[in-house]
Amino acid sequence: MLENLDVVAIAALLPLTACMLVTQVDPYHALIIRGILGAVAALVYALFGAADVALTEALVGTMLSITLYAIAVRSSMSLRLGTLATAAPNLDAAVPSALGQQLFPALRQAIKKHHLRLEVLPYASPQALQFALENKEIHAVCVPAEQLATTQGTDDVAAPYLLNVRIPRLYETLAAALPPELVAVSFSRALRLTSAAPPPPDSQLQNALEG
Amino acid sequence: MNGILLAMILALLIPIYEAWQDEDIWQKMLAFASIATKTSIMILVVSVLRDDWMIGLVGVLILSVGNAALMLLAHIIRRLNEA
Amino acid sequence: MIDIFSYGLMVLGVIFWFWGTLPLLGHRSVLFKLHSLSVADTLGSMSIVVGLLLKIPSEWPLLVLALICLAIWNTVLGYVLAYCSSTGGEDA
Repeated sequence: MLENLDVVAIAALLPLTACMLVTQVDPYHALIIRGILGAVAALVYALFGAADVALTEALVGTMLSITLYAIAVRSSMSLRLGTLATAAPNLDAAVPSALGQQLFPALRQAIKKHHLRLEVLPYASPQALQFALENKEIHAVCVPAEQLATTQGTDDVAAPYLLNVRIPRLYETLAAALPPELVAVSFSRALRLTSAAPPPPDSQLQNALEG
Repeated sequence: MNGILLAMILALLIPIYEAWQDEDIWQKMLAFASIATKTSIMILVVSVLRDDWMIGLVGVLILSVGNAALMLLAHIIRRLNEA
Repeated sequence: MIDIFSYGLMVLGVIFWFWGTLPLLGHRSVLFKLHSLSVADTLGSMSIVVGLLLKIPSEWPLLVLALICLAIWNTVLGYVLAYCSSTGGEDA
């Protein structure tokens, strides 16, 4: 037993790193720990003489699966927020608007606790925005409050922006985390918007093309 | 020889502990880089210990490929923090 | 004689490993840890591989390949990690 002490010690590293992996909360941290687990597993397999299994673990289990999972996690753990192109012309605040200055940082802070990422998609017209929300292309819509057509009881709130969320769980999270004087959070699967100004003809044409 | 292997396992435990307790993602990446190098060197030591040419070949391959995976992951995480 | 020399190199390599890895535990910046890790860890690993090479000279192509891989990859990896952690991590 004592002459096999090193074998036992190396084999004990495998359940140790596996327990570390399952206790991770952040998906990216879990990916890195998965890489450590892959390296330790390759060591254990090589120690027991399975050279081919060790090579497969290092190439496929560590390199390929980590890279693919990193891309998959990056594209799935994101909140897709639709805005009007006239309300938020540029994400990088080329025009200093309240949307880019206050709301987006607050929103990023709120969803960062849940390891989500904010992805802003500008739409040309309110109709395109409505269409995207109903077709589940986006998770939430952020518009100026005066563009809301129907009286949904939100007009007593003095918030300059309305954030409409399509997913109940996301709605609970955001309604608890965002400051109410900045944005009014609502939940509905479809939204009725009016255009504050008549849309320019090219955006109408784009609408017709998008169908 | 077994004593050297045991000392190597002890040295391997340090970055594993570091990866477990540190919350910063770059510190975890450093620990991962350290572990990837250390495990492949340990595979080489085991191959010489057992006089097995094939395990040594696998160790060298893992040594060269594991670092490539690390660089890919580092670039993806950097893109992630930018966006 | 050669046996003692190769064992000495391997023990030296393990000491280098501890020297390079122990700063990981402190609360220092990423770049400080990366410096100690890349220098001492690579030196330690190379000294271990040279020790193995003295022990079994018949496998020299494999071990020389390991030495070259270690030197090149760890240097490049140090640069890549430093670049990625210093440009992307600030504006998160």
